[in-house]
Amino acid sequence: MSEGALPKDDAVLRVDDLQKSFGGLAATDHATFAVERGTITGLIGPNGAGKSTLFNLISGFYEPDGGTVEVNGTDVTGMEPYQVADHGLIRTFQTPRKLEGMTVREAMLVGPRNQPGESFVNLFARPGTVGESESTNLAEAERILEEFEIDHLATQPATDISGGQMKLVELARAMLAEPEVLLLDEPVAGVNPTLAKKLKDQIRRLNEQGTTFLLIEHDMEFVMDLADPIVVLDQGSVLTEGTPEEVQGDDRVIDAYLGGGT
Amino acid sequence: MTVLGYLANGLVFSSIIVLGSIGLSLVYSIADFANFAHGDTMTVGAYSALVTFGAVGGLGGAVLGLPYGFFLALVAGIAVAAVVAVGTEKLVYEPLDVDSIGLLITSIGIAFIYRAVIQIRFGSDFTRFGIQPLRPIEALVPYGVRVTLHDVAIVGSAVVLVGGLHVLLQYTDLGRKMRAMADNPDLARVSGIRTKRVKLWTWVIGAGLAGAGGVFLGLFNQLSPRMGFNLLLVIFAAVILGGIGSVYGAMAGGFLIGMINQLTPFFSNVVEALPIWPGWLAALLESLISIEYANAIAFVIMVAVLLVRPNGIAGEGAT
Amino acid sequence: MSLLSDPKAAVDDLSRPEAWVLGVSVAFALFLLGALLTGALGPTYFLFLVGLAGMYALLSFGLNAQWGFTGLINFSVAAFFGIGAYGSALMTADSSPIAGGFNPLVGLAVALVVAFVLALLIGIPTLRLRADYLAIASLGLAEVVRLIVLNERWLTNGSAGVRGIPSFFEGWPVFSTLPETMPGLRLVVIPGSPILLGTSFWRASLNVLLVLAFAGATFFVLRRAHRSPWGRVLRTIRSDEDLARALGKNTYSYKMQSFVLGSLIMALAGVFYTHLNLYVGPGDLDPITTFYAWVAVILGGSGSNRGALFGGIVIVTIREGTRFLNDVALPIDPAPLRLLLIGVVIVAVMRYRPQGILPPQRELIWPSAVDDRDPPDPPSSGVREQKGGGGDE
Repeated sequence: MSEGALPKDDAVLRVDDLQKSFGGLAATDHATFAVERGTITGLIGPNGAGKSTLFNLISGFYEPDGGTVEVNGTDVTGMEPYQVADHGLIRTFQTPRKLEGMTVREAMLVGPRNQPGESFVNLFARPGTVGESESTNLAEAERILEEFEIDHLATQPATDISGGQMKLVELARAMLAEPEVLLLDEPVAGVNPTLAKKLKDQIRRLNEQGTTFLLIEHDMEFVMDLADPIVVLDQGSVLTEGTPEEVQGDDRVIDAYLGGGT
Repeated sequence: MTVLGYLANGLVFSSIIVLGSIGLSLVYSIADFANFAHGDTMTVGAYSALVTFGAVGGLGGAVLGLPYGFFLALVAGIAVAAVVAVGTEKLVYEPLDVDSIGLLITSIGIAFIYRAVIQIRFGSDFTRFGIQPLRPIEALVPYGVRVTLHDVAIVGSAVVLVGGLHVLLQYTDLGRKMRAMADNPDLARVSGIRTKRVKLWTWVIGAGLAGAGGVFLGLFNQLSPRMGFNLLLVIFAAVILGGIGSVYGAMAGGFLIGMINQLTPFFSNVVEALPIWPGWLAALLESLISIEYANAIAFVIMVAVLLVRPNGIAGEGAT
Repeated sequence: MSLLSDPKAAVDDLSRPEAWVLGVSVAFALFLLGALLTGALGPTYFLFLVGLAGMYALLSFGLNAQWGFTGLINFSVAAFFGIGAYGSALMTADSSPIAGGFNPLVGLAVALVVAFVLALLIGIPTLRLRADYLAIASLGLAEVVRLIVLNERWLTNGSAGVRGIPSFFEGWPVFSTLPETMPGLRLVVIPGSPILLGTSFWRASLNVLLVLAFAGATFFVLRRAHRSPWGRVLRTIRSDEDLARALGKNTYSYKMQSFVLGSLIMALAGVFYTHLNLYVGPGDLDPITTFYAWVAVILGGSGSNRGALFGGIVIVTIREGTRFLNDVALPIDPAPLRLLLIGVVIVAVMRYRPQGILPPQRELIWPSAVDDRDPPDPPSSGVREQKGGGGDE
């Protein structure tokens, strides 16, 4: 099988020949792959393979030196992160982000995109509309928290919950933004096994309901069980792509992991 | 005055700005915050030298028109500025549980405390070191250069101090650690560098150089409790021009900003001589490029750098 | 839980710092009342101080909308305040070197427009960058505005300042002549020291009314904004700008809105000051004004509007207290003493109570959306500061 060449008729995310270097060192080296709609695609690779850089390039946090990123058929290369998000691509971060002074449900309410109440003028011109959408969003936030079985945390300070719970809240909040494709950066890093299983179930459930996922994960058991296909990144470029079985049996992948981290 | 004359003045003023901007840049990259008390650290140095000089007197001989006692006072200014900065780090900054923005705001409070104490003790008036002002060096006057031996002493001392810093950064263990920490504090920590100690030395060096800059500023102009705070904008402009976190950038930035500052009257003459059209533009430029606005010009340069190259002239492109 | 209907429950409901602030405020009010009644404090001067406190509260509201909401570090509060003061003074005063003689409402409008433009000019290069760049650039802006006011005599009268400023209500029906038409009053509380309430007293009362209107309207706008989705985006930016960007918020635009809003409020404070003091000079642009506002905001609690109000009162106490001390007790120059107090308060707050004395503590969700449903469980230690926690070490 050739690199990244699975047939992709309906790609929600397409990365083509993406390049980025820092101080002369190539962090992303002509990376090309696509994420098929409806899949949970795993992105793995040894430390320093450039996974996080790739995420930052795709989501608009870094500007690529070359190549293109397409979301839903639209070229989003060089766009600001908020514009990329507007095209339906939402990402989470490796370390859970803390929102000081907010309760969990307040932090959830940051999620929905294009709220009428996010316009200063509307607050005074159309307070009724703002109130309605806020009620709807709040109900939706509480519904999702219930589905995630963390509704008991709703009025807790967002900074006082465990790291695993923060990961759940972050995923739940991202869902409020109604992403077409959701990029998760190490969703179970530092999460205890019980919560990790819960996260896995949630991701699978949301995927069945139609959300496409691209996730970076170091926990091999977790990613091999959840994701299909899996893209392997090494030294900034795509080494191979395939089903968990194919990837696990591929000598090049094993070599990359054994010789990795340099 | 001729161009050469302005350039000579620029060189003297630049020496002072460079001494200030190096320390600010070092602290910015290693202690990781914009230290708004840096200008007032210069004031602390200047007044410490004033007190010392008043106490020890001339001590007989003189070099470059400066009594021996003044050099002792200079050392005292450097030492006191360093001690005060280290004390502040130990007593205030280190125990704080805030991020770099919190430290920035705290440093404003520190700046006010330094200045208030000086003002309560010495009053708010201008004062001078009791050193006989010198006539310009005769040999240079025909070229339109009116510098005194004191000015030569300022430039010479600054060159020695900056050269010493260069040797320290490049050829000593401490210098290598400082550069490593400036590049990547986390990496430096895991690779076993005792960051706390390096940080303390950074304060000693940064504040010491600032103290020297303050003493020279007092010699070049006058002393007043506001002298350092007034210079803060110019020093920040220099650091931003050179790229925050780059010591050599801060030297270059300080040199440029200091030069431009002293060349302002020359630029103003140039603008007057140029046939600028339309007339209102000429009038506007003439009124804006004048000595009153020397600090404002530093500000305009800084804003322009932020717009075009936020990482400074030496830094990599915008991130 | 209104303070009137059920005072005991309302007081019980207060957190420790709230009770503290309430206690201190009541004691302070009683002290002032005593001073008023015994004639130690003239009623007109008292009202001037109230006006001044209102002005600092406005400045603090402005800074709160920038630093408290969004985490923007603005060190040019004095410049925006000065733009407001000079803008309205130059439009309305007899001695104005440019226009002059316009209705104060024109002055208000001009002041706000100039502040708006200036906020954009400084926001454009800095708000895309890290927070400390705005701090540095705004410090420079303050200096540049001060230099221009000092040097451009054709525009500002330079160091002489602008005199002959009318009252804000000049040219209004009823209000403009109210102080003259009101009867003079003579109150005798303590026999032998009557308190006279004449024209100047009524004029000062009008000023207090004006600042109450300005501050009240601002408070209303800010409270609504703070509890809205708009305010929530700002608070997200303050905690973690990248998160807000990842969730599709155009953070540059939000930061700009927050910066402009705060700057307009500061200019409004300047407009009020012009008509309170009836003279503006370059001295009014002293950077110290900026740091008065900073002390008020971080002391009151960043993001907390009522905290900013409390901070405004503290500032007047520092200002007038040092003056009083100099006049009566210790002959120390009040200027460095104020500087020292500001410095010490900033360092002490950052050291011992970085969240301020009255941090915002309730959930900030659009009121109608939460009122529809059950109130959150009362022990929701929520964002509410735990009683006896934190402050008790």
